[in-house]
Amino acid sequence: MNATTFIEAKSAALVRMGETVLLRQTETARSVVGSCAGLMIYHRRLKLAAVAHIVLPEAAGRSGSPGKFADTAIPHMIDLLRREGAERVSLIAKVAGGAQMFGAAGPLQIGDANVRAVTAILTDFGIPLQAKSVGGAKGRKLTFYSDRGEITVEVAGETPFIL
Amino acid sequence: MSHNLTADSTLRILHQVLSTATNHASAAMCRWVDSVITLTLDDVTEVPLEDALSRLDVGDEMVIAVVLTLHGNEGGTLLLMFDELNGRQLAATVARRPASIEPKWTEIEISALNETGNILGCAYMNALTKLIDVELVPSAPYFVRDFAASVIEQALMAQAISMDNVLICNTTFHRGDQDLNWNVIFVPSDRLRIKLEATVELIG
Repeated sequence: MNATTFIEAKSAALVRMGETVLLRQTETARSVVGSCAGLMIYHRRLKLAAVAHIVLPEAAGRSGSPGKFADTAIPHMIDLLRREGAERVSLIAKVAGGAQMFGAAGPLQIGDANVRAVTAILTDFGIPLQAKSVGGAKGRKLTFYSDRGEITVEVAGETPFIL
Repeated sequence: MSHNLTADSTLRILHQVLSTATNHASAAMCRWVDSVITLTLDDVTEVPLEDALSRLDVGDEMVIAVVLTLHGNEGGTLLLMFDELNGRQLAATVARRPASIEPKWTEIEISALNETGNILGCAYMNALTKLIDVELVPSAPYFVRDFAASVIEQALMAQAISMDNVLICNTTFHRGDQDLNWNVIFVPSDRLRIKLEATVELIG
């Protein structure tokens, strides 16, 4: 990671649990996830991206922020992008997160279910999942770049990499 | 599934109930580290899930945490959290040796913190068990070095699965007049939370 990237990451908007944001041009966002999934759906030519911090696989009738659940977040993100002129056929997705924190004895290991739900729903909508960094036992610090369609992934004790 | 906010009066009584458990944990810590350590239950609060991390003032900083997961029908998670420096100092105190400056945590340091978490967590849970008449059995302690937000996020899952607002209990530590950068964060599961609130209503 170079110095420029680091400065951008510090000034990026924070995407909290259950939230969705729309990024235009050079805007960036950041999020820290454990078992949650950080999903970016983007349109490369328009430099437009929707980012969600997904907490659970399905809403199952619950109300609340659409970004919280995979099955409500993805249609919401597609709609946000469509309103900005991004057609679904040109969208690409990347996802990071879904860790199994606290070892096998940890509570409610939902990370894998989150990733499976995201993958299945993207397939249903015909959006290719271009890259992913999922699973493991550690959290991830993510920075999303709409102009490049990239996610910088930092894992504790490891070298950051670009997704 | 609950979307309702817990009444302020219930939270106040819940604070009293959990303060009793905190006092038991405080006494256990004093015996364990052979020093006067005071635990103060600062906050028993219910917040929307998305506000929980900012309420606890945690973000992408690295933390050391000992995790105790509660088994059984009424579960939950208890986290004993430190920054790197405070974690190392406590480990050194418990192990009766100088604080390590090596980047990698040694087995002895990890074991010292795990045992500390175990003693503190068991004292807390034993007290809660007596108060609410539900057996709370903690798992073996699990050492984590990770981003604070990732650790708390996982702990919140046990409530987020069925609730939009999460109940969190934050405890701070003091040695004499000195604030220690240690925290205990207790997140009851949705079922334990309901049980706690029902008990509190009986008391009230």
